[in-house]
Amino acid sequence: MKQSLIGLLLFIVLSLPPVVTLLESIMIIHMHMQMPLLVIAGALFGRYFQIHFPHFWEKWNGNGIPGITLFVIIAVYWSIPRTMDDALTYPSVEVFKFMSLFLLAGVPLYDSWKRLNVTLKNSVFILFTILFLSMGWLYLNVTQQLCNNYLLIDQITLGWGSAAMGVCIAIYLLYTTFTDPSQYE
Amino acid sequence: METALKESYIQKVNRYMGLQREDARISKSYLFVAFVALLLGGILGLLQGLNRAGMLELPYWLNYYQVLTAHGVLLVLVLTAFFTIGYFYAGLSHTLGGLLPKVRKMAWIGFSLKIVGFVFAVIPILLNQASVLYTFYPPMAASPYFYIGLVLIVLGVWMCAFGAFINVAHWRKNNRGQNLPIFSFFATGVFVLLFFGSIPVAIEVFMIIPWAFGWVETINVMLSRTLFWAFGHTLVNIWYLTAVSAWYVIVPKVIGGRRFSDTLTRIVVILLVVMNIPGGFHHQIVDPGISQEVKFLHVFMSLSIAFPSLMTAYAMFSVFERTGRKQGGKGLLGWYKKLPWGDVRFLAPMIAMIAFIVGGAGGIVQSTNQLNQVVHNTMWIVGHFHITVGTSVILTFFGITYWLVPYISNRTLTPKINRLGVIQTFIWTVGMLFMAGSMHYVGLLGAPRRTSYTTYGESATAMGWDPFMILIAIGGVLLIVGVLLQVYAVFHLMFRAPKGKTEFPIAEREEHDTYTPYWTERWGNWIVIMLLLIAMGYVIPIVDFTINAPPGSPPIKTW
Ligand code: HEM
Ligand SMILES: [Cu+2]
Repeated sequence: MKQSLIGLLLFIVLSLPPVVTLLESIMIIHMHMQMPLLVIAGALFGRYFQIHFPHFWEKWNGNGIPGITLFVIIAVYWSIPRTMDDALTYPSVEVFKFMSLFLLAGVPLYDSWKRLNVTLKNSVFILFTILFLSMGWLYLNVTQQLCNNYLLIDQITLGWGSAAMGVCIAIYLLYTTFTDPSQYE
Repeated sequence: METALKESYIQKVNRYMGLQREDARISKSYLFVAFVALLLGGILGLLQGLNRAGMLELPYWLNYYQVLTAHGVLLVLVLTAFFTIGYFYAGLSHTLGGLLPKVRKMAWIGFSLKIVGFVFAVIPILLNQASVLYTFYPPMAASPYFYIGLVLIVLGVWMCAFGAFINVAHWRKNNRGQNLPIFSFFATGVFVLLFFGSIPVAIEVFMIIPWAFGWVETINVMLSRTLFWAFGHTLVNIWYLTAVSAWYVIVPKVIGGRRFSDTLTRIVVILLVVMNIPGGFHHQIVDPGISQEVKFLHVFMSLSIAFPSLMTAYAMFSVFERTGRKQGGKGLLGWYKKLPWGDVRFLAPMIAMIAFIVGGAGGIVQSTNQLNQVVHNTMWIVGHFHITVGTSVILTFFGITYWLVPYISNRTLTPKINRLGVIQTFIWTVGMLFMAGSMHYVGLLGAPRRTSYTTYGESATAMGWDPFMILIAIGGVLLIVGVLLQVYAVFHLMFRAPKGKTEFPIAEREEHDTYTPYWTERWGNWIVIMLLLIAMGYVIPIVDFTINAPPGSPPIKTW
């Protein structure tokens, strides 16, 4: 219960207008900090749904695949430059962004992750490695401004940031592939 | 298989035999260098203090900035690095059943690399060709050999870091499923920080060397400052984590108590390691080229370090109270009388912890943009780090020497040297109260740091600083007495004190301590999270500095 309260609190803090303005004023912070924090808030809050609707999750998300698919769809959707732009332009899209990342990405992520087997977990990591690396490649090579709301330099920064995140996940994958925990644990 | 068996047999024997002579020699050499550096650095500090009070004019062949460079390099690079490595290697050897021969060799190679590097760095300083202060900010340029020396020092540190990792991995293979002994856990955290924290400065120095040789014409000043502080700030937290290791693991044993919760201790270590490196931006609050928003976001990164620090403060006082009460302390505060105040191994780190409360409060002040504008580059800052590193960290190190040096030298701490230590602690505390206290105050009055004595043409404001500068000099005189006593104590314990066995004091877990989950051991995961945070923390300014780079600066000799 404490966990879901923390999640809700985080969501409320992230929704405060000055916080929204600050985090969205920088493109990379918008995509790689505000959005993940919304997902984390949702994941923390997911505990509430698990406690109150256990059967629902058991029935619809028994192997975790539906939940993680929903999460991936939402996450990929919000990594399209156009959608970020719209969120800044139309308040309704902004509300949808907050709600979808919180409820449709964070909550199912929490419920699904423990249900996934190792292969599926690694597939999700691989998917995001590819996504981030290609986003990095895209943003570093496009010479036009992709968003009305952000400058070219913001875009290049986002490119490097995404590439760096891709590299970090790749390092994680290499680390888990090439170290053998049974030697230590 | 056979060799593994043999090795673990040897290890077992070694454990029963206590310390290993060869491992002890490593730590002894590192500590020896550390305290020689304290002696030299302390003398230079006194010269600075006297100069700034207008009581001493340096001879024409000795430049104030040359002295200040040497003071900084000796005390914050040599003393701390050598102490940290000597201390943790002694503890790794003790808690992991001895160092592997390979690791021992690496520690010696690291030692030689550092000494050679140090000689490379010191010669240009002595020749007044590297008076760039220990931060060596471009566009000030020193002789290229100064930077080559720094590269060698970094390589030496990496040797020691990898040695530690190899020893830890070896232990874990032989002790499957067990949590690393807490002391070695701290050591792992420190060496992870040492390795990753020195990568940025290595990059910086590789930018500088061709520029200092004149092979490239200009350098990106902001980029190099940023890389410097990614390292400099991490270095600060390495000292801090080293001191904290003694507070959590050693001090409870010295006072006859038990450790604070094992799990929480490990979480503090992990938090300090993971969140550390991006904190470097709080040293650049008034630097240009970083937007207000980014600086504002970084305030949170800096202040997040306050969280594990507050946890530490809570943990320490809870251990003290529990131990004091067990020994019969009554009432709300009666327990504190039961603490062994006359034992320097407790007294010195205890005062260090109290100083850290003051230092931490000052740190929060400096992280705040508006307040930083008031104190930036004033003597306040000098006061701040003499409280934090010059008191909190150093007094903890001093307290450690009173058992560590006899331990590695197979000697004992005599009551006489203990008394000397208590007096030394007292003198150091009073000296720092004078010196750092007046530094803080005179900083608020506007006295700049890193400036030799001047009255600015008899300006009334500058004259108003003088009384405080004299207090600084008085503090400096007390401190040099403290330095002499401390150095005497260390060398006495190393070479003269009566032979005998001294214990390596590691406190036991609390009786009802909870089980420590194994995920705390997954350093690979922590390192990936750390890298993610570093990437996120640095990508905005670094892209900005490189894409929107100004033409850059040629090397400049300002002295
Ligand atoms: C005998 C004891 C000491 C005295 C009298 C002393 C005095 C001073 C003075 C007067 C300054 C310079 C102020 C300026 O012009 O900006 C200074 C700078 C400094 N001190 Fe000390 N200090 C002592 C011990 C220490 C210790 C133990 C440490 C650290 C472990 C330390 C670290 C530093 C550093 C890092 C600087 C800054 C150098 C720079 O600005 O480049 N000092 N000290
Ligand atoms: Cu710092």
